[in-house]
Amino acid sequence: MLRFLALLPVALVLVLAGPAFAQLPASSVVQTDNVRAELLSDVAAAKPGEPFWVGLRQTIRPKWHTYWKNPGESGLPTEITWTLPAGVTAGPIVWPVPNVFDIGGVINYGFKDDILLLVRITPPANLAGSTLRLAAEANWLVCEDICIPEEGKFELTLPLAAAATPSDPKTRALFESARRSMPMESPWPARYGVSKSGDPTLVVEAKGLKADTIRDVYFFPAEWGPVAAMAKQTASVTAEGIRIPLKKGDAKAAMPAMLAGTLVLTEKTADGTLKQAFDVSARLDPTFAPQAMTLAAADAEQLTLVQALLFALLGGLILNLMPCVFPVLAMKAAAFARLAGHERSEMRRDGLAYTAGVLVSFAAMAAVVVAIRASVGEVTWGFQFQSPVFSLLIAYLFFVVGLNLSGAFEVGGRLAGVGQGLVARGGMTGSFFTGVLAVIVATPCTAPFMAAALGFALSQPAPVTVAVLLAMGLGLALPYLALSMTPVLQRLMPRPGPWMDRLRQFLAFPMYASAVWMIWVLTQQTGSDGVLYALGGMILIAFAIWLLRLGSGSSLATWARRGVAAVAVLLAFAVALKIEDSPATAASASGSPVSGVNFDGWERFSRDRMTAAHAAGKPVFVDFTAAWCITCLVNERVALETPAAKKAFEQAGVVKLKGDWTNRDAEITAVLKELGRAGVPLYLFWAPGTDQPKILPQVLTEATILSELSSIQQAKR
Amino acid sequence: MSNFSVPRRSLMLGSAALALAPAAAFATTSPDLGKPAPLFTAVDSNGKSWSLADLKGKVVVIETTNHDCPYVRKHYNAKNMQTQQREAAAKGVIWLTTASNAAGEQGAVTPAQANELTKSRDAAPAAVLIDPQSKIARAYGATVTPHMYIIDAKGVLVYKGGIDSIPSSNPNDIPKAKQYVRVALDEVLAGKPVMEASTQAYGCTMKYPRTST
Repeated sequence: MLRFLALLPVALVLVLAGPAFAQLPASSVVQTDNVRAELLSDVAAAKPGEPFWVGLRQTIRPKWHTYWKNPGESGLPTEITWTLPAGVTAGPIVWPVPNVFDIGGVINYGFKDDILLLVRITPPANLAGSTLRLAAEANWLVCEDICIPEEGKFELTLPLAAAATPSDPKTRALFESARRSMPMESPWPARYGVSKSGDPTLVVEAKGLKADTIRDVYFFPAEWGPVAAMAKQTASVTAEGIRIPLKKGDAKAAMPAMLAGTLVLTEKTADGTLKQAFDVSARLDPTFAPQAMTLAAADAEQLTLVQALLFALLGGLILNLMPCVFPVLAMKAAAFARLAGHERSEMRRDGLAYTAGVLVSFAAMAAVVVAIRASVGEVTWGFQFQSPVFSLLIAYLFFVVGLNLSGAFEVGGRLAGVGQGLVARGGMTGSFFTGVLAVIVATPCTAPFMAAALGFALSQPAPVTVAVLLAMGLGLALPYLALSMTPVLQRLMPRPGPWMDRLRQFLAFPMYASAVWMIWVLTQQTGSDGVLYALGGMILIAFAIWLLRLGSGSSLATWARRGVAAVAVLLAFAVALKIEDSPATAASASGSPVSGVNFDGWERFSRDRMTAAHAAGKPVFVDFTAAWCITCLVNERVALETPAAKKAFEQAGVVKLKGDWTNRDAEITAVLKELGRAGVPLYLFWAPGTDQPKILPQVLTEATILSELSSIQQAKR
Repeated sequence: MSNFSVPRRSLMLGSAALALAPAAAFATTSPDLGKPAPLFTAVDSNGKSWSLADLKGKVVVIETTNHDCPYVRKHYNAKNMQTQQREAAAKGVIWLTTASNAAGEQGAVTPAQANELTKSRDAAPAAVLIDPQSKIARAYGATVTPHMYIIDAKGVLVYKGGIDSIPSSNPNDIPKAKQYVRVALDEVLAGKPVMEASTQAYGCTMKYPRTST
């Protein structure tokens, strides 16, 4: 036994000595090996009948962590057991926003460095005596690589007084900052559905958010069981809200009617980035059966390199089946027929040249991706699919390719004169550029598929990115390469003939169907107006093509036709600009009370109204906000619309103006610009008699507002 | 974190998306209950090879261990683990303790150390498996020590989770706790379905090999 004890690490011996702490007289501070814990009170003196906050502060040894209420895949949450005088009650721990720790693949939710676990204490109104003694026993598990359970006994005695008095400023600041960083009640409703495989998907119905301003979305499930702790979650921000595919947990029980948890996200604002946290309670929506396919994106990063290369190769092969590539392949097939009977070595050279063309193009694409990443830091692809402009352009592309397949015009005629020139050059150069052309034609209309492989490629070091893209290129070139290398296969090729034309015409119909589908996607993003713009744009494009194909008359007529065609095409693309702001418009037009800007108790901002009110000697508060700005919403909840703030605004006689920048209102844009701001939130406060408004910080607290308002109250007296 | 995402709708286009959709490969993925338990072969502290496939017809318990973990120590110091190992053996159950923490980490043992521990702790497992590459733990998605699994005579996983119901390091809680493994074993041996088949395991985090994640 002695020998065994000698094997133990020193830390454990100390833990064995742990109960010794219990024998020490209890104080408000407990120092263990890995945590300094202190019981603190927000008040220096408590008033019977008036609830107040206490907190267990844990100062954790660097690199070690303690746990949240749901500790994740291992670990245990901190527990506090109170011993209180009769009638005094203690609430549950109010937890700060947790962090994700990945301990060699085991996911933990918890805290590092310095945290304050808040507990609300309520002394009864009839509490007798002159002091209130709070005794607590707390235990916590603290882990780095190894885990140590620790515990401590705490005691705090507060005087009772007729009025509560705040504690010292340093302690108060700790509590203030702890309260500020608590998750707030989610302003949006949420629901979740379960896919066939049992994996839940959460949708937070925050309508009209901008996908490009929100990142690092993570949902911490409140308890072990229904949802697994995940290293990463791949959320998407769409017009319908924030959608987070999750992984089912280990509990065998049925999914709960309400799925609770904490949603964190980072919002990019005009002045930087802000982390926000919301407590979400999502109801089970039996009608919502998410497709498990969305998880493909989440898992993309978990692929091994070999898998990724295989998928990329397969993806490249499948590109050959895309209608877009068909015209090129038809060209290739024709060239092949011409080569039939030639030397086998010539055929082989031709196949190699084509492959080289494809590979060089993919290498170029890889170079662009790597370069963008090097300069921007992070390339995101999700945004394209949430952008209505992207949907519109893809719809146009499908339509135009469809027209081409139908024979309305010829690719490689005037439109791609240069390309065709090179392609028609024959021999190896021609084959090489046919390969380049195949990639150019294939890439845009296959972007959605490419994205899955690119998603993986983008998250990898540059050599891997290049390898994955080259594998995809090889896949694209492979059928033709195999054909040119294998005489057996060549004999199996059907002879070129009229069937090729008919097949080509038939393939136009899937393209039209794809265009219809893209328009439907567009309506999901913009509302029914999108149909009008997209179909109108298509008519303009068809008109332009018809004009350009009219027989050549005088040069003047030709130029006039070209001019009109150019105008028509420009108009079709101008639609994109019109559609750009539509998601927000759709959201605010729907008048949804949660997602639109709420003007209750506020006047609409106009420069005239602001100037007039200020000139009349009234204090003016201006709130520049937008429906998609989460920070704005949070500020309203915690600082501007609290009962105390509303009352203070009213007492001070403040004119409250709200500017809605959801649709980038030009007047507001001008004001923002004058003040050197690129966006919202922006808060202005004009005290009476000043000639400059004061710009308040972009993170508001109730205390900030109250102190601003009290300063003018005092000035009045 | 990558913002990359593809809305469901854009994947409707064709089978190409399916071809590109990879299989899930999470660091820890626990196997499903009611399905055949993941097979493994491992060598025990006496050099004997154990293969789960060979144990068909017997009920098998797997216990992940780390002798320096305070939660493992709780159940060994109070003799709870040894008692349950003996009860199981008396009923013909094969109890496999697996030292699955990665080599060099806390809890990783040599065969000699494992035998020394069995002796000093008066433990009675059928075998202590030496698993320095965490293969067994990985296959079963173990996240803590002790993490417990029961496999029935047909080779189906019927229980995964904790040893008991009170997640603390205090041995005084053991008599008060529901001993999940004991209850589940009785149900399995009686041919009944396991009522609480998946519970929250508690203990020290498994230490997986650092390079493999």
